[in-house]
Amino acid sequence: MKIWPLRFRELGPSRVLFADDAGGYFVSDPAFLQRYVDSALSDTDRKFLYEHGHAFNRVGDLQHTSFTWRWTARQSAREKIAYVILVPTLRCNLTCTYCQVSRAAENAKGYDWDTDTLEAVLGFLDRLETDEIKVEFQGGEPLLRSDLLRRVRDHCRKRFSRSEFVVCTNLQRLGPDEIGFLDAVDTYTSTSLDGGLLHHERYRTRNRALTEEFFENLDTVVQRFGQRVSALPTVDIDDPPEIETLVTAFESYGFSSIYLRPVNYHGFARRRRAQRDDLSRWNAFYDEFIDFLIDRNFQTGHVMEEFYLSLCLRRMLQPGHDGHVDLRNPSLPASDYVLIDFDGRLYPSDEARMLSRIGQIDLSIGTAHDGIDQEAIAARVPSAFNNFDPDCIHCPYQPFCGTDPIDDVSRYRRVDIPRQDTWFCGRQLAVFDKAMSLIYSSDERVLYSLRKWAGLATWPNSLAPEHHDTSAHTS
Amino acid sequence: MIPLRIQVEGATREDPFVVRLSGATADTTISGLWDALLVHSEDEKCAYQTRHGELRLSGIRSSDLAGDVLLVDPTRKVGHRLLRAESPHNAFLVTERCDQICTMCSQPPKRYHVDLFPLFQQAAVLAPKGMTIGITGGEPMLFKDQVFELLRRTLAARPDLSFHVLTNAQHFDETDVGILRELSNGKVLWGVPLYARESSLHDAIVRKPGAFDKLMNSLGVLARGGALIELRTVVLKTNAPALESLAEYVSVQLPFISKWAIMQLENIGFGRMNWDKLFFDNSECFAPIGAAIDVARGRGVNVALYNFPLCTVPESYRAFAAPSISDWKQRYLRECDGCVSRKDCGGFFTWYPEARGFSRLGLEQIEA
Repeated sequence: MKIWPLRFRELGPSRVLFADDAGGYFVSDPAFLQRYVDSALSDTDRKFLYEHGHAFNRVGDLQHTSFTWRWTARQSAREKIAYVILVPTLRCNLTCTYCQVSRAAENAKGYDWDTDTLEAVLGFLDRLETDEIKVEFQGGEPLLRSDLLRRVRDHCRKRFSRSEFVVCTNLQRLGPDEIGFLDAVDTYTSTSLDGGLLHHERYRTRNRALTEEFFENLDTVVQRFGQRVSALPTVDIDDPPEIETLVTAFESYGFSSIYLRPVNYHGFARRRRAQRDDLSRWNAFYDEFIDFLIDRNFQTGHVMEEFYLSLCLRRMLQPGHDGHVDLRNPSLPASDYVLIDFDGRLYPSDEARMLSRIGQIDLSIGTAHDGIDQEAIAARVPSAFNNFDPDCIHCPYQPFCGTDPIDDVSRYRRVDIPRQDTWFCGRQLAVFDKAMSLIYSSDERVLYSLRKWAGLATWPNSLAPEHHDTSAHTS
Repeated sequence: MIPLRIQVEGATREDPFVVRLSGATADTTISGLWDALLVHSEDEKCAYQTRHGELRLSGIRSSDLAGDVLLVDPTRKVGHRLLRAESPHNAFLVTERCDQICTMCSQPPKRYHVDLFPLFQQAAVLAPKGMTIGITGGEPMLFKDQVFELLRRTLAARPDLSFHVLTNAQHFDETDVGILRELSNGKVLWGVPLYARESSLHDAIVRKPGAFDKLMNSLGVLARGGALIELRTVVLKTNAPALESLAEYVSVQLPFISKWAIMQLENIGFGRMNWDKLFFDNSECFAPIGAAIDVARGRGVNVALYNFPLCTVPESYRAFAAPSISDWKQRYLRECDGCVSRKDCGGFFTWYPEARGFSRLGLEQIEA
């Protein structure tokens, strides 16, 4: 019998987490770890490893085939581009405190697509190989240019057999024209909701009349479009929202999922702020938020999830959840989505365009007119993998994790610093540790939320495999 | 019940042959060698012009036969409706031989075999657009080369068709990986039964020593060939307690399957003979099935319940129950009259034994 390599991590006193390259995990104890490194496994150890998919007898047997399948299913495969983020204008009618580089003044000139750029964008869409498309309108405030949005939507409805549109809007201006655009079954509204009224006002509207306008408009779209509306908060860890107020606000609009996103300050905004490590405060806030949800879900029976935790849980339990572009491996640029900026330049992500905009580095990967620059893509491929990173190869969470070289560049101006020193790694370790502690919990409140989040009627023991051979002799 | 065999007279040749029945007397759009043109139709009698004479059919209306592919056996004066154009349930019974004697088999094996592959080949090419054709037995893969050839040739000529092959997967080996890859464009679904993760229990249920080991080897071959696999497990008194453990095995060792169908017993063949020993009444105790579903879904395995009347399944698992019973062997009970969920429910097998079946039945009724 041959055993696939195991990575390990201490979870707590006498509890060690083990995982193989295909994401098969279990909890054991330091004695097993000792037997493992001494090559002195007991028969019980070996039987456990074989039955749980961590071993095989010969290349090509079923156990070998299933392991290679499970490993392969955890690699994010390159697909056709079928998701396009469009920035028809950089102008915006709000000046949120944390928005730094992705906006221009509402009356500014030269920050919208001109006719040539619009034609180039439509031409770029025509040349895509896909037959189904998802278009996300970003900004600026895209609804300032609903005329361009209509041109794109009309074009896509004809060009593709299936098309879907998401408008990321601040919902400040919602006249008949804007409502008219959002009122279509293929069109979804996504907005920002930072917490209760006061918090939202402090960060986004900074003016009571505007705040009230926003909440009125949110009422309107939720009432009219129901499930086609979603919201997410942006969290500044220097001044996080009051947790209960945030959750109550989301629930009052019928949302059952909250995605806590930490704001990442770029360029000027970062320079203005004291450079200090706020990672531990973010992780503490996140932990407190999850515990609050778990208690609240159990007490009220109204179930709310935190989107990113649910995503990480799914990625730990199952292969194949690569739809979220910020957490996957490899994270190949322009693998299945691309962003087209107000000036027609292509970027691999929203972060990449912001970073390029402050002038530190050019992360563009072509233009709508000329298409994707394959040389620029090739240059980024090595940093897209975590499989061979000298730090990640020791981490049991590697199969569930991703890479974020853009974030590394934005924070450290390079991609090759030790993983565990990066914000990305520090945040991921904390989320995965938290998720693992929930998976292995016996607390009825935790199990209630896990069942609800996973959509299971019961939470099976086998999702939390344990192995202890108390009779084994350890040297 | 839907008639599957029709009385046919007037054929001018003795050997069996295949024809496709046209829909209307005025239908001149089809004129292939294999087409039968409707020349006369009156109530349950109709006549078709074919190159093997004018066929006279009785006992069914021509409107119910439009587009059907008929296998005519002139000496017995019978037409088998091989492919019914209006039905989603069509299958070629390619042999009645089998090398397993499963305790619940609905179609116990026979020694006698007639090779009808050339006729099946002809019929498949005449199938209505987009049809899924079942290949069943007996054990079809006892005639592995012929089945592969049937699939390969049909799909080359008719890429719009799909196949669903039911096989005990005792006969695949490494040399089949090539042809499986050739067929791996999503058009062939291999339905393979597995009853337990313990080889002794599985072998006892299929009554063939060594079957489990051969099956595991074959499943590896199918996986390496990129085949679509529908794993099928009939729940019995004998394997129900081991179902959750099987779910763990499936999620770890068979993660490549497309679907895991957990099935209720059919009261026919050996299933009828052994009913009292085998029937697991899930309306009384669903726990082992529920646990298996949760394990599998927790690991991302796609699960479905086949042949489970909705009212025998707890509400939280009802979404997995597919209306899987084929139209020609399906019925509803008195308890189903006015049921709110009848249209989503597969109902019961025609031969379901009411006196020895589920102890609890029936959902809420629609208000009269």
